[in-house]
Amino acid sequence: MSEKIYAWLLRLYPSHFRKVYGQEALQLFRDRSRDETGFLPRLRLWCDLLADMVVSIPREYRRAEPAISVARVHSDGLPGFQLLESQAPRPGVLFSALVLTLAGFAAGSFLISYGGSHTNPHFWESKGRAQRPDPTARASSSSSGAPPSAPNSSPQNSTAKAQRTAAQPPAPGHDQLAKLQNDAGAATGNDAQTQTAQPASKSGQSAAQVSAQAKGMTVVAAGTLDATERQRVVQGAVAQLDRYYNYPDIARKVGNALLAHEVHGDNDGPADGRAFAALLNAQMMDVSHDGQLRVVYSKTKLAPEVPGLAAGPSPELLAQYRKTLEENNCFFEKVQILPHNIGYFKLNSLADPAVCGKKAADAMASLNHTDALIFDLRDNTGGYPAMVAMLAGYLFDKPTQLSSIYNRAENSMRDNWTPQPVPGNTLANKPVYILTSGATFSGAEQFSYDLKMLKRATIVGEPTSGRGHIPRARRIDDHFEIRVPDEQTINPVSKTGWDGPGVQPDVRVPAAQALDTALKLAAARLRKR
Amino acid sequence: MPKRKLDPLPAAAFQILLSLAEEDLHGYGIMRQVAEQTGDRVRLGPGTLYSSIQSLLEEKLIEEVAPPENDKAGIQSNTQPDAKSGAKSNEERRRYYRLTGAGRKLARAEAERLADLLRVARAKKILRGDYV
Repeated sequence: MSEKIYAWLLRLYPSHFRKVYGQEALQLFRDRSRDETGFLPRLRLWCDLLADMVVSIPREYRRAEPAISVARVHSDGLPGFQLLESQAPRPGVLFSALVLTLAGFAAGSFLISYGGSHTNPHFWESKGRAQRPDPTARASSSSSGAPPSAPNSSPQNSTAKAQRTAAQPPAPGHDQLAKLQNDAGAATGNDAQTQTAQPASKSGQSAAQVSAQAKGMTVVAAGTLDATERQRVVQGAVAQLDRYYNYPDIARKVGNALLAHEVHGDNDGPADGRAFAALLNAQMMDVSHDGQLRVVYSKTKLAPEVPGLAAGPSPELLAQYRKTLEENNCFFEKVQILPHNIGYFKLNSLADPAVCGKKAADAMASLNHTDALIFDLRDNTGGYPAMVAMLAGYLFDKPTQLSSIYNRAENSMRDNWTPQPVPGNTLANKPVYILTSGATFSGAEQFSYDLKMLKRATIVGEPTSGRGHIPRARRIDDHFEIRVPDEQTINPVSKTGWDGPGVQPDVRVPAAQALDTALKLAAARLRKR
Repeated sequence: MPKRKLDPLPAAAFQILLSLAEEDLHGYGIMRQVAEQTGDRVRLGPGTLYSSIQSLLEEKLIEEVAPPENDKAGIQSNTQPDAKSGAKSNEERRRYYRLTGAGRKLARAEAERLADLLRVARAKKILRGDYV
């Protein structure tokens, strides 16, 4: 037993000592324990051994090290390695090191790819339960080109994000925003005088049904249609189109096409309201190529239209919209000062100034002493013209006219001016760059277009989605309505708007490279100064 | 010139050199001899013993020799009778060491150095008595 203990203790010695003298030492221990019997001699033996180990083990290790290091140092001045281990690592050790390295590398890569967007699932979970994102929001945002992007992703991630867009479901918060803006009539130029023909939430619901039908999803059978009603709907749609649509000639063409389909009996198939609406939308789309123009079916009876009544969005919807804004920092994603004292402001919505005015003012104040400004609107879904005017106001030293809104039916023009400059503002003469993408939408397009026309900003990126009109729901009958873009923005400089082609960038680069490009341009310009 | 490991000569190494002055011994024999010549005051543990032996071998002050034919009996006289068979098989693995000329010379030099010290100590009246 005691011999085993000593054999084990011998392992504390360096291997070279054990190899040469291990057996000898063990033999000596055997000899001594054989000769020294009895309690006291045994005790003395162990005391001797332990004291001997305390002294000799460190000495043996000291002896081992210099021997190796001396052997490895080159005499001709070349650097040499000093090794404490005299043997090469075994293959097993190398293998486990390789596995560990790969595992660490994989874990790191995974965290970089997915860790950064951890807010998305959280957002989905917390908001998704209360307000389930329905297909409408996605359908309307994708049809109108609104970005399905994460509200909190950083601009540096935009490349990765663009790649993810196809695979990942759009962040519900943003979709909700698009939907809310849509429903609340908060699209460009439409904040105060919205005339919804019915409770907005109802129209949202019916839109959901339409898009569900259009996507071929299972729908519960709704009310049936007869030929008379179909005819009435077509004629009503044609009448509303003719009266309100921004492009009278296209309105006529679309109307003729609808009537022709009706006469040819193309509409005899569907007895279901939603299917019929989807059919009409497809027919209109063929001619107009305008996704904003569409017929919507409502299962419940629509509220009667009160002519001339300025019916704003419902208080519940407005409250929900404001709550969403507050929970998402008004979709102001990033405010920071980049190298060369260039201010960077990424905002994904032009939110209602009544809710977000203070935050916007704070953001601009924090950028007040920068030498150049970059507005990142690549993921901006638009919003309120009042916010457009407010932000643009920081870039001028006097009130400046922005795009007006022309209402075709009323033949009226609503002008739009930037407010009086904020005292102490120093940004009025600083270079401004605006980053755009194909997803830059509505109010964000107005901001870009107006500043471009006023030669106040350089647009960097991709052409925007080209939505300068504001659709409004017009009642056809108790269950059908048609959303007709009836207002358009007209810029005082160009005498036109951006609807259709979108805002053309001054410097055309892929959206993912827009920030880098703008930073280079800004830095070069600041150096010249 | 590299520093010699055994300069100054450690007490354990000097004891080992002295123990080998009269006959070739293996490790345990050295240990017993040292204990004997120091009145059981110095008992070299295996670590110290073999570490010193290693140093002495490297400096060529001692050398390893084949076990002497007649020494087996001598060793066995030191062992208990009941361990005879085990001791015999281990006997073949025992290494014997012999003092080299250089070792003997160094031991003598060390002894003379100590004798000098002794004279000084005696002259300074530090050491009294008639011994040595």
